[in-house]
Order: sequence, then structure tokens, then C-alpha cells
Amino acid sequence: MSDYPAAEGEEESEGAEADASVTDAATSAEGTDASRKIIHIDMDAFFASVEQRDNPELRGKPVAVGGSAGRGVVAAASYEARKFGVRSAMPSVTARRLCPDLIFCKSRFDAYREASDIIRGIFRDHTPLVEPLSLDEAYLDVTADPRQLGSATRIAQAIRREIFAATGLTASAGVSYNKFLAKLASDENKPNGICVIRPGDGAAFVQSLPVRRFHGVGPKGAEKMARLGIETGADLAAKDMVWLRANFGSFADYLYEAARGIDLRPVRANRIRKSFGGERTFSEDISSPPELRETMDRIADIVWERIERNGAKGRTVTLKLKYNDFQIATRARSLPRNVIDKADFSQIGHSLLEEVMPLPMPIRLMGLTLSNLQGAPKGGRKERRDAEAQLTLF
Amino acid sequence: MKATIERATLLRCLSHVQSVVERRNTIPILSNVLIDAGEGALKVMATDLDLQVVENMAAASVDAPGAITVSAHLLFDIARKLPEGSQVSLEAAENRMTVKAGRSRFSLPTLPRDDFPVIVEGDLPTSFELPAKVLAELIDRTRFAISTEETRYYLNGIFLHVSEEDRPVLKAAATDGHRLARFTLPRPDGAEGMPDVIVPRKAVAELRKLLEEALDGNVQIDLSASKIRFTMGGEGGVVLTSKLIDGTFPDYSRVIPTGNDKLLKLDPKSFYEGVDRVATIATEKTRAVKMGLEADKVVLSVTSPDNGTAAEEVPAQYASEAFEIGFNANYLKDILGQIDSDTVELHLADAGAPTLIRQDDKSAALYVLMPMRV
Repeated sequence: MSDYPAAEGEEESEGAEADASVTDAATSAEGTDASRKIIHIDMDAFFASVEQRDNPELRGKPVAVGGSAGRGVVAAASYEARKFGVRSAMPSVTARRLCPDLIFCKSRFDAYREASDIIRGIFRDHTPLVEPLSLDEAYLDVTADPRQLGSATRIAQAIRREIFAATGLTASAGVSYNKFLAKLASDENKPNGICVIRPGDGAAFVQSLPVRRFHGVGPKGAEKMARLGIETGADLAAKDMVWLRANFGSFADYLYEAARGIDLRPVRANRIRKSFGGERTFSEDISSPPELRETMDRIADIVWERIERNGAKGRTVTLKLKYNDFQIATRARSLPRNVIDKADFSQIGHSLLEEVMPLPMPIRLMGLTLSNLQGAPKGGRKERRDAEAQLTLF
Repeated sequence: MKATIERATLLRCLSHVQSVVERRNTIPILSNVLIDAGEGALKVMATDLDLQVVENMAAASVDAPGAITVSAHLLFDIARKLPEGSQVSLEAAENRMTVKAGRSRFSLPTLPRDDFPVIVEGDLPTSFELPAKVLAELIDRTRFAISTEETRYYLNGIFLHVSEEDRPVLKAAATDGHRLARFTLPRPDGAEGMPDVIVPRKAVAELRKLLEEALDGNVQIDLSASKIRFTMGGEGGVVLTSKLIDGTFPDYSRVIPTGNDKLLKLDPKSFYEGVDRVATIATEKTRAVKMGLEADKVVLSVTSPDNGTAAEEVPAQYASEAFEIGFNANYLKDILGQIDSDTVELHLADAGAPTLIRQDDKSAALYVLMPMRV
């Protein structure tokens, strides 16, 4: 069996935004001005720091969490490794080329989750309005200042101190009056730093930044902007809405506001996770039925372990395949009830797989996801709640 | 093929077999019935590939033996509408079958008999007989608990197995994971060494319909690990053959509670009616009813966020500690509807544990119901 790199589902990857897969229940007041106090806390090289904390031999050395073989990708890199240019989501082969002394660690999600639970507990000591983005970062709305610390900056410092005391890990904090600015700020003085963007300074701060720092602007987007003569937030702010619409379509609204430091999104507490999944990219493309089935077994095992750990229950199983021409195919099945156990989950995965076989071409990736989770606020929720209230014999 | 038959005979026979035929079929011939005219009798057969029913009917006359297939639902609808007491003539020629009765005349498309799929029964080494009434009761007492979830396909039928206890028995069980029904009878001669089998839901339903018209006789049952055949009405009767569900039924005996020490006894009819009444206001599909058990009474109640509340007190014999437990009203009613007696026993443990329900310790039927959190 080929070595499966530990490319965990994107929701698990460090720092990944998970907006697409969550909905909100409780939300903070939607601020239309600069009266809110928002903190973004981001753990420093979280997975790698946990490894360095738990294994003193790794301290001060370039460490990457993730699979080292074949098509493995780096899930997280220590700051020592980042100096060599190693980044999250980078193929491990590339990472090793950049940093020949790089030490690869297998991911230990139990340890990360344990640390994450502690951190989230600290957040909730300070405010009920906590919106976790992943295991290692979260937005907090501290406008109400329940512990009467006096300022958002003091709260952020208290949180960073408490995190270090409880976990031995460092965090960076961004403090501002909206989520967009708070997130930019937390990145400003990383690692183990804090940055405050005060009301009135937001627009100037944003305009000093290269557009690449804007969330949602990737390498391709930055390239396009460069072609259009836009390098910084100031360049963007100089453009009017009509021009932005013409060039960026639906993305224009966001860019227009971002360039002015405006972000009215509330901090959404109790975001509810909508899916649990995982996928594997293979060392070599596979196509033979026995290999495909064996892979399905492995993925079902891994994903189910994650589902169980979270006590999740769901009704929809989705199979994802990426063919070697990078086309993505998905197949889903929804049940009238929750998936019962690993055997059930695996069986559905297998039957979805059988439906697509024989494959038109080899695949480079297979993934399996459980969604339509219990308690997700959506149509039919009431019935599912009822179904859950019914206890089962088997 | 050419034969004449009484309309009533044809109609009765077609009504038996046509429900086997699925309304929508991707394979055209599965929409058809096979009509095979032999000496003085016609054989009619329908199949869905998993289940087939063959019935012999007496013909007024067979002028030319032969066999042909025609649309089951068409022929049934025609037979239904033909005048009562008429003689129906069936004649096949040149890819058509002509149906004549009185002044009516139909010409129906046909498909050749050789294309008609017949289930290969193979060897059916286990053979025994059961009175039709007993088999009908076995089905009635268990079929409501059959699961309809396709993913746990091995629950989509009635499980039959033999077992040695203080006496040899044949047991039938069905469950959907929320409730379980079990029916036990003395092992019939010939059933010893029988493989465990799961009879699919559709076969159970068709069999039950056929039994209704043959309740006075015996049913011959022949089976192997993969097929089962029920023969009713002896010679010239009906034969139902079904594939069995290829799966393992869960070890259900482990979910039958043995140590439930709280005994509640009450009249199943007033209990049923009380549950039915309070459940009226329940909005959710599952209709959870709360039972408050107190000294010699049960307080049934439903609280609906939209429709208010309902409560009813039902007299009962109960001497254990007071507590509350919730059940799906429909599940309760399904079970209570099976109790032909003026008392039903509920053996309870607590609000989260399976409850055993039966008429008394001698009854052949036993039910286990999981509560709901309320």
C-alpha cells in the first residue's frame, strides 16, 4: 500500500477558513460603525509548536507536520522552517528541497484538539461571543467586556498570557473594530505579538498593505491586480465601484469595503459544523478496483474516527474523486436516518464507489465526507431532532 | 393458445398475481403475466425477479394448449370491467392476444413466453407445514416492525429460525432498530435443521394477501438458504416463491430485556385510545407521548410547542416507584393493536432502556420497544 500523506480534510488544516461549511446560530450585534471591539487570536505555528513543546529535541529546529513521502503536504511548519520558505499546504517534496534538514512529524490531532479545547475555554472565560475558525484561531467580540478589564487590548494580552500559562504555546492577537482588520492585525507582529488598529486608523492601515494580504486575494488575483496597476490597498481604494464591478464582478463589493477597512460581519458564536470529512492524495494515481476499495476502507476508517471523536451524526455521505486531469467528481447519498456506525459509513462509501466504477481514468485523490449533520439548522431539522429522541435497540 | 374461462375465476386469479408486478418496469416482460394453457386448466404467473406467484385456475375449455405473456395490469383492468358472469375467451395469434367476452373484444400486444423469467428454485431441502391461520398470525404479529430502510437491508424482512429451548421452537422476528416483534411457535415437523432465513417484506405482504383466501387449509413451506416456497390450496392452488434476503439478521435476543422489574398492567384498548387521543396534538412525525407512571395509574401527556398540551389518565395496575418514560405513539399503537386480550403487560426498567410488552408470559408474541427522550 502506498504511503498516504497526512493531508487532513481542509477543515482540519491549520489556519484554514471554514466559512463555506458553517452556519451561525447566535451572532453578535452587527456593528455599522467602529464601536465594536473585536479580537482575532491566532496560535503561532500551532501544530508544529505542539510538537516542539512535547518533544524538546525539536525545539529550535525546522519542523513540519505532515507526511513526508510521495505527495504528502505540509500541514504546518515551525518558524525555523518558515525561514527556509516552507509553508503550510506546500508539497512535502518541495519543502524538503527548500530545507534539507526539515524534520517531519506525523500529525497528532488528539494533542492539537486537546490544546485547542483549552484555548477555547480561555476565550469563553472572556466572552460568550467566540467564533472559532479552526483549531487554532478564533474571532472574539469583546465589546461588552464581561470581566471589566477596561480595554480590548488588555483582554487580548490577558488571553495570550493565559494561553501560554495553560498550554506553553504562544499566540498572536489582532485587536480592532471589525473582523477583517482584527485578522490582518494578528498577522502583523507574528509570532507572539499583538497589534491594535484603532478606530480611525483602519483605512490607512489597509491602504498601506499589499493587496495579497487581503483575505480572498490569492496569487492569481494579485497577479491580475498587478496587471491592472493595483499593488496596495491604496491603489484599490482609488478605484470606484463601477471600475471594480467591471473588473472583478461579484468580488467588487468586498474589495470596495476591504480597501476602506469596512467589515460589518458580526462575530458568529455557536457556528455549527456542517460536515466531517477527509481526503487522501496518493503517491501514485490509482485505478484498479482492489486498490480503490482498499483506499476506501482506509479513508472510511480515518474519517469515521474523526466523526466519532466529535460525536457527530449525519445523514449524507459524499464521495469525492479527483481524476488525474484534476477534474473533480462527487457522488452523494442521503439516508432517511443517520449513518449508524463505521460499517454503515464504509458500506455507503463503497456503494458510491461501485457506482462510479469502472473509472474513466485514474484518480489522484479520494475523499469521503459526512454532512447533513444532526442539529444543523436547515429544513427538516425538527424531524431529525425527533429521530434522535427515539432511542435505538441496535 | 386458445382457452375460455369464467370472468370471476380470471379476475380472482389476476388480482392475486398482478400485485407482484411492479407498476414501473425497465424490463418490458416484467410488466406481463404468463398465461399457460394446459389440459383443462390455465396457469398464470407473475414475477418481479425476486418473487414469483403461480396460480392454477380451472378453465371452461382449452381448445389449443400454449403459452403467451401479456400486460398484467391491462388484463386485470379488462377483467375487472367485463360483465359479471361472462365467459372470457383468450386466444393468441401473431404477436397479439385477443380477449373476447360478450360483445367486447380486445387485441393486446404480447411477448413470447420463452423470454419470461422464472426463478430457479433449486433444491429446497427443508419442508414443513403450518396451518394457514398460524402463518397469518405469525405475519400479523411481526410485520409492522419490519424496517423500511434500504441501507440495513437485512432488516427488510421477517427473520425465521429454529431454536432448541425447553422445547424446540420456530421463531419469527422483525425489527427496525426502534422496536422488535417476535412470535414463537412449536417447531413444526420437518423444520429441524432449517437454515436461518429472512423473508423479504414484499413476499410477506403478498403471502399475507394470499393466505386471507386460504385460511382454513395448511401451507406447505419448502426452503433452502436462498429461496422459500409457500404452497397454498393444494393442487390447483397458489404457489409463491421468493428469494431470501442474503444477509445476517442481528442477534436480536440480546436486546430482549430479562431483568425489567417494574410491571405495569392495563387494558390495551383504553391504553390505545388514550395514546391516540393525546397524540392528536403532537406535531412531530414521531409523536412522542409521555407516560407518567404512578400508583395504579398512568398519566399520558403530550406537550406541543404549537398546539398546546393534552393529558389523559388511564387506570392501571402499578406498584413500583413513580417515573416518566416517553414512547413514539405510533409504535405503541402498532403493538397495542396486536394484543387480543383485556390486559397487556409492560415490563419497564427506566426511561432509557428497552421495554418489554406482551399479553402475558404464555403469549406467543413478544414486543420490545425503545423509549424516546421526552
